[in-house]
Amino acid sequence: MELSLVVVLVIGLALFFDFTNGFHDTANAMATPIATGALKPKLAVALAAVLNLVGAFLSTEVAKTISGGLIREGDGGVLITPEMIFAGLIGAIVWNMITWLLGLPSSSSHALFGGLIGAAVVGVGFHAIDAGVLLSKIVLPAFFAPVIAGVIAFIATKLAYRVAGRGSLEGYKRGQIFTSSLVALAHGTNDAQKTMGVITLTLIATGAQAAGTGPEFWVIATCALAIALGTYTGGWRIIRTLGTGITQVTPPQGFAAEASTTATILASSHLGFALSTTQVASGSVIGSGLGRDRKAVRWRVAGRIAMAWLITLPASACVAGLAELVARMGTIGIVLDALAGVGLILTMYLISRRNAVGHENVNLRPVPVSPVPEANIVEEAR
Amino acid sequence: MIDWAAFFVVAAASLLGACAVVVLFALGVRNAARRPWLARTCWVLCGAAVLFGIYLIVPALHA
Repeated sequence: MELSLVVVLVIGLALFFDFTNGFHDTANAMATPIATGALKPKLAVALAAVLNLVGAFLSTEVAKTISGGLIREGDGGVLITPEMIFAGLIGAIVWNMITWLLGLPSSSSHALFGGLIGAAVVGVGFHAIDAGVLLSKIVLPAFFAPVIAGVIAFIATKLAYRVAGRGSLEGYKRGQIFTSSLVALAHGTNDAQKTMGVITLTLIATGAQAAGTGPEFWVIATCALAIALGTYTGGWRIIRTLGTGITQVTPPQGFAAEASTTATILASSHLGFALSTTQVASGSVIGSGLGRDRKAVRWRVAGRIAMAWLITLPASACVAGLAELVARMGTIGIVLDALAGVGLILTMYLISRRNAVGHENVNLRPVPVSPVPEANIVEEAR
Repeated sequence: MIDWAAFFVVAAASLLGACAVVVLFALGVRNAARRPWLARTCWVLCGAAVLFGIYLIVPALHA
């Protein structure tokens, strides 16, 4: 099978997107057990990585459309070219890297859809987008997800404290291991599939694979490995935000939050109302913080996260639109795009090294206690 | 446009599922010292909930 340059680049970028998806979403499952000390940080990300790897192999029924109906693709619709997918992936990756650098839990799926939308609008025009689907599948659920999860986690946390009192916290830590493991497994079955879908549909579109066939084994295996590796790398900046930034998570609260996240994700994926895992997990943490103590939530952090959710889709759409403009110049444009993408990723990585967050300092939160920078201290979280 | 029926079903199912598991687990924590048999029963039920979760996650089990 002969693959053109752009197809090879799409596969490479899709796998890198899968990797960013992994480290972006480690926090959904593992931020609260790490914050409460239920799991040692390194063990937590290793567990999440293994579960993502297993999950990716468990469920390989890929979507029939790359964008899940957001773009009018397929028979009688617009033609999605590999160049557009390439540009869309650049937008999604760049936005995932920016939000990671800022430590903000934002939805990787929204970044991917935003990127594809941006590329399709520039490549084909606004008629390529199904605005109704955009509103009912992305925009409105983005409001509902954190609210549902937040209310449930609030009630669950209240119940936990009411039933068991405020002592005896250790027992909850063991429970947290199970609930967060379920989140990690569910994540593997859901998110690796998206990348498999992107690669498989690209291969089909370029005639390298027969239409109507499922992902080839090498696609499944590389996607599973990419998401597991990303998960193991552990997006520590986002784990810190979710575990200690929004509110300091205690064991009963962490257990209630993860139980709410698990219940909401499983219900949403089986009862037909899709919700973003990231938004559910963040809503749960906020709700459980309020359930413990009304003053325990740092609304400034929550506000920043909400802002990131609002601009995720348009922002990655803009980057992708720009990339698509350049990509239309032909091979030279694709190469320019690829170089610019690599340059941006490297720059953000280098910036992150200036105040690196890793497994050793993930639970330490820098607290500005004074407007004078020198007076700021680092607080031991627990 | 929004499937409100599905929305409320999801919200109700999530609420019930999460609260049931949390209350069971908290009952286990509360009774761990004085009534270990009760605590163990609660945790076994929580374990069953986890197994049900795995059943829902793995397509091969429920497809």
